[in-house]
Amino acid sequence: MSLPKRIIKETERLVADPAPGITAAPHDDNLRYFDVTIQGPDGSPFQNGVFRLELFLPEEYPMSPPKVRFLTKIYHPNIDKLGRICLDILKDKWSPALQIRTVLLSIQALLSAPNPDDPLATDVAKHYKENEKDAQRVSREWTEKYANA
Amino acid sequence: MAKVPRNFRLLEELEKGEKGIGDGSCSYGLEDGDDIMMSHWNGTIIGPGHTVHENRIYSLKITCGEDYPDRPPSVQFVSRVNLPFVNPVDGKVDPSKLPVLAHWNRNYSIETVLVEIRREMGSASNRKLPQPPEGSTF
Repeated sequence: MSLPKRIIKETERLVADPAPGITAAPHDDNLRYFDVTIQGPDGSPFQNGVFRLELFLPEEYPMSPPKVRFLTKIYHPNIDKLGRICLDILKDKWSPALQIRTVLLSIQALLSAPNPDDPLATDVAKHYKENEKDAQRVSREWTEKYANA
Repeated sequence: MAKVPRNFRLLEELEKGEKGIGDGSCSYGLEDGDDIMMSHWNGTIIGPGHTVHENRIYSLKITCGEDYPDRPPSVQFVSRVNLPFVNPVDGKVDPSKLPVLAHWNRNYSIETVLVEIRREMGSASNRKLPQPPEGSTF
C-alpha cells in the first residue's frame, strides 16, 4: 500500500520533532492510523492527566480532515461519552493547509478552553454553564481516575 | 485504499444506525452508550411480510470483537425463533450456516448481517417454518 508523500513527511516530523505534551505514532500495520497521547494543559482541570486518543487519515486526506477520538474518558463539554470531539477544524473549518500536528495542538487547546456554547456532551455543558467550579471539580476527578499516566 | 480501523468503522456504523437505515425493517444501536470500545450492540428485525414472521419483532445481540471488521461479529437471537442457522437452545447464530458470516468480507457491516438474516427469514425454505410463541425469549 503506497502512502502519499505528505503523510510520510508529516509522520517523520511528528516523530522527530514532537509538539510539547503530544505524542503520535503510526501503527505498523496501518500507517494512516495513529496512537496519540495528549497531556492535560497546566492550569486546566485536566492538568497532570495523560489522555489517549486515536487518529485516522481517511483516503481523501488532506482534502478531508483526520478522524480523531479520545479513548480515555474525559469530562469536557465538547467531548462525548464515546470520545468524539466537537471542534470546527475537524468539520466545516477544515483546510488542507492544516496538519496532524495543528489538529492535535487544537485539541490540546480545547482542553484549556472548553466551549459550553457549542456542546457535544449536553449534560456536561449544562453543568459547566450553571456551575463552572463544580464542573471543573468533576473534570479534575475524572482526570485523576481515568487519565492517570 | 486506506484501511479504516475498527473503531472508526464502528463509529461510522453507529452514526448510520442512529439516522435510521432503509425502510426501518432492520435497526441497531449500542447496548450501552458508554461502551467506548463499541463491542456490544442491539439489533432489531421486523419479520418480513407474507411469511410466518410477519409483524413479529425480533431482538438480537451483536458482538464486535477486537478483530472486527476483519472477522465477522457474533450474533445471537434474544427473541425465540426457529431458523436452521439459529441454535434452538440459546439462540446463537451458527456462522457456518449463514452465508453472510461464513463468507465474511471486510466491507460487510452490522446492517448487512441484519438485512441478510431478514432475507433468510423470507426464503422459500424458511418462510413457513413453525415458530415459537410470539414475544418469547431464549
